[in-house]
Parts: sequence; structure tokens; C-alpha cells
Amino acid sequence: MTQSQNIHGDAAVLSLRGVSKKIGSKKIVDQLTFDVHEGEIVGLLGPNGAGKTTTIRMIAGLIRMTEGDVFVRGSSIRNEWKKAIRHIGAIIENPEFYPYMTGYDNLKQVQRMNEWISNERIDEVVRLVGLEHAMKKKVKAYSLGMRQRLGIAQALLHEPSVLILDEPTNGLDPAGIREMRDYLKTIAREEGISILVSSHLLLEMEQLCSRVVVIQDGKLVTVRTVGESGGSAPEEKNFVRVMFRVGRFEEAKQVLGSQGQAEILQVAEEQSELLVALRYKDIPDMVTALGAAQVPIYQITELKQSLEDEFLKWTGGNRIA
Amino acid sequence: MLSFNRLVINEWLKMSKKRSFFIPYAIIAVALAGLAWAFKRWGGDMIGSAFEYTAMMASTSGFGQFAAMLAVIFTAGLVASEHNLGTIKFLLIRGQSRGKVLASKYATALLFTLSLFVWLMAVGFASGAAFFGTEAAAGVWRDLWIAGGSALVYSIVYVTLGFMMGVLTRSTGAAMGVSMAAVVLGSLTIPKSFYKYVLFPNVDLSVYSHGGQPPIEGMTLPFSIAVLAVYMVLFLGASFVTFKRRDIA
Repeated sequence: MTQSQNIHGDAAVLSLRGVSKKIGSKKIVDQLTFDVHEGEIVGLLGPNGAGKTTTIRMIAGLIRMTEGDVFVRGSSIRNEWKKAIRHIGAIIENPEFYPYMTGYDNLKQVQRMNEWISNERIDEVVRLVGLEHAMKKKVKAYSLGMRQRLGIAQALLHEPSVLILDEPTNGLDPAGIREMRDYLKTIAREEGISILVSSHLLLEMEQLCSRVVVIQDGKLVTVRTVGESGGSAPEEKNFVRVMFRVGRFEEAKQVLGSQGQAEILQVAEEQSELLVALRYKDIPDMVTALGAAQVPIYQITELKQSLEDEFLKWTGGNRIA
Repeated sequence: MLSFNRLVINEWLKMSKKRSFFIPYAIIAVALAGLAWAFKRWGGDMIGSAFEYTAMMASTSGFGQFAAMLAVIFTAGLVASEHNLGTIKFLLIRGQSRGKVLASKYATALLFTLSLFVWLMAVGFASGAAFFGTEAAAGVWRDLWIAGGSALVYSIVYVTLGFMMGVLTRSTGAAMGVSMAAVVLGSLTIPKSFYKYVLFPNVDLSVYSHGGQPPIEGMTLPFSIAVLAVYMVLFLGASFVTFKRRDIA
């Protein structure tokens, strides 16, 4: 294979290079550059109006870029759109179908546009999303969750390398959101494809993605690794924040306060909780000290700074975009 | 070419799977059979044969204009409905170029119009044969071709206008409204010289048959064909340029 003319094309399935969109004099998306690697789930995160949807649509070629380019497996969306789009599967906002046709007929429509899709492939994808029994039903009789699944099916039919999803959980109830998340994880694993998903729901991103790209006002703010897979392993000397829930609150406070290694950050008397900052390696000492003072310990929890806290920090807090 | 055929099949299925699809065919069948019966009952010897009846029904002064309206109603939404349903964003990320997608839609619109006329002629002839017999007088085939052909051209022009409006406005209602208004207003003629360059007086080519008078002095058959060609190029040009450049937001 004579891979990738662009220098960044190591294992990047999808690369954005200085992608910009100007409407009039307003820059909706400004010099966005990031990569999605093989098998990765990447979140595109930002407040409303940050340019997520525009970015996703530019990747799919639905909206023209003013500047920059997107490469999918080394092919440019601008100059070799047909070659590039072949590797992209997409659900843009809600998946939409012809409601008066059956689920199967809708998938057949896709098949006629990409001749390499076999009938076996249709069956396989339908099985993957668990819609075997609904294929003969008209789509207007589908629930929103079923439509989402059919949406995933149509996006996967042509065996793309990267799936791009724009706000896939919009309008879903908590159960639906969870189902969607599970499906996406299954797909990333079983089909071995990369996923780029846009959302403004932080918690969602935290649970789904291994990396998030944060944008605001069309500009890249930061790229972060999240989740247990990506987070740095607990190092002995690192400070962590630990919450102790104890009985005999006052005594516990005294014990913890008297220890040089620990600093009490927060006191919540009603819940009998103490938030303490200390080194990872000192946690056992602290427990021993509490035990020696006969303080009952009900719960010890490490509090990680949530993505939400960080997100608000990155995007400048409570400003409503 | 094969992939283009598949796109046309897709478009045809999108139209034909709708429950309302049979309605225009049903209207034509009922109307033509009913009218044949009525002419037989009250028309005396007005109509001599199935040929005459079919030519009369197909012509723009007969049922042809109505068939054109039906064609416009059912094709105006071809592009706009994709926008309404939101399916346009999925249609355009399938590796088929926008030009090809739009061309397949236009081809489907033409196919549908043609199918209406084939149906109209077939039902017209069948009901004509039932009531008036099939004796062919001299020149009936020619009359039939002129009536059917000119009504088909008439329909295609308005279908193309509706198609363009659908692309430009992204609204089925607007596309239908504008082209229906055009069909109705098109029959009014302003007897001024400049008006002969306007689309409307040129649309009905059957006025030139049998040594008929053109609506405005100085118009000829080649002139009208040229004017129609220019308008068609404009309509299609505007449609394709807009569709290919549009940001799907």
C-alpha cells in the first residue's frame, strides 16, 4: 500500500487539518486540527453553538469548508470525496428514513447506492443491532430507539472505517442513551471501527470516549484523554482527593487534621463526610490512624475531578453560548 | 450507468411505495371512462371512434392539462420532501455525486409523467373502444400523436418548473403552488409582442397543428420549440447549480 501523502497519516483514520468555515465574516469553525486513530472512540465536545454540527457535516461533505481539508484513510474530502466518503458511516442528528417503507426497504435503498453491499451484509448488520424481527415493519411504526438502531445499521452497511455521529443521544430517554452507548461500544469492538461522536453531554462523553476534543467558538480548546483506560495510572506520590464517610465526626476531623500528610479540603457535617487531599501512598496510614482512634469508617472514595469540572474550566464556566 | 439505473429505481420506489401513488392513475381511469359514457349518452355523433376520443382526451384542451397538473403535484416534492424528512443528509453521503442524485430524481419525474400519459392513452383508447368502436378514419394516428405529444411536452415543461421550484425553495407546497399557478395562468395570453418570449404562450405546441393561429403574431413552431428549450436549460441549470453548491445544514 502506498499510504498517505500527508505527513500526519500514521495510524489516523480521520484527520482534520486546519478546517475552517466562514459564513460572511463570522468564523463558525476556525482552524480545527485533530486526528481520530484506529479503533478509537473520540468525543467532540463543546457548548451549544460551538461548531460541532458544522464540523461533523464538513467531515461528511454536506457543508463546504472555507479552508483546510479532512482526510479519511488518506483521501481528501475536498478532492477525492467519493474515495473518502466510502470509509465514512454517519448518523447526523436523528437518523431519518422513509417512514412509509419498511426497515428492510430502507436498507435496500442504501444497498442500491453502494453496490458492494451484499444481502448477507444486510442480514449481518441487522443481527448486530438486533432488529431481525422489525425488518418487515414500516419505519413509522418504529420507536425512537428502534430508529436509532436502524440508523446505526444503515451507517454500518457499507463497512466504513470510521463512524461519525452528531448528537446521537438527542431526544433519547436514559435507557435509550445507555442502549446507544452500549451499541457504540459493541460496534467499536466487533467491527473494529473508529468513532467520532459529538455531544454537549459531558457525562455521556466521559462514559463512552477514550479521548475528547473540546471546542468552543469554533476553536480547539484542548484534547484530553478520559476514562479509566486512558487516565494516568495512580502513582504513589501523586496527590489524590479522598472522601471519608465516618462515624464520630469530630474525632475523625481531629485525627485527620493532626496528620501532617493530609489536608482537609471540605467538611460536610450533615453527611459526616470529610474531603481530604493526601498522597496516594499515605491512604493506608490514614486508615490505620482512624482505626487506632476507634473511628468507624463507612466509606472511602477517591474523588476524581470530573470532566464536567474541567469542561467548565476550559470553556470559561457559566457563560451561556 | 448501472449505478444511475439503481438510483432511478430507488427514486421510483420512494414514489411508488407511498399509499397515494395509485391516485392519479385512478383519477384518470375513472374520469376517462366516465366521460366516454357521458359523451355516448348525451354527445350524439360527436365522437366517431376510440382514436378520436383518445386524441381529444389527451390534448391540452381536453384532459391533458389536468394530467399535467397531476404530474406536477406528484413530482414537485421529489427534492423538497427529502429536505422535509431530513433524509437528504443521508442521501448525499453515499458516495453518489450530487449531480447524479439530482439527475436520477429528474429522470424519475420524467418517467412518472410519461407513465401517466401512457396510462391516459391506454385507458382513453380502451374506454373509447368500448363506447365508440375502433374504426380508424384517415389521419387519426397523426392526430393522436400530435395531441399526446404536445400534451406530454406541455406537462414536462411544467414538471421541470415544479422540479426547479422544489430544489430552490426546499418546500413541496411552494413548488406545487408556483407550478400549479403557472399552469392556470399560462392559459391567459397578453397580446403584446414581448409576451411571445415568455414561457406560457409557447408551452402548448398543439396550436400549430391543422394550420392553427399562434397566440401572438409572429410565433412559429420552431420559434416556440427554441423558447421552450431555452427555458428548460435555465430551469435545469438553476436546479443543478443550486443543488450541487448547497450546504446541507
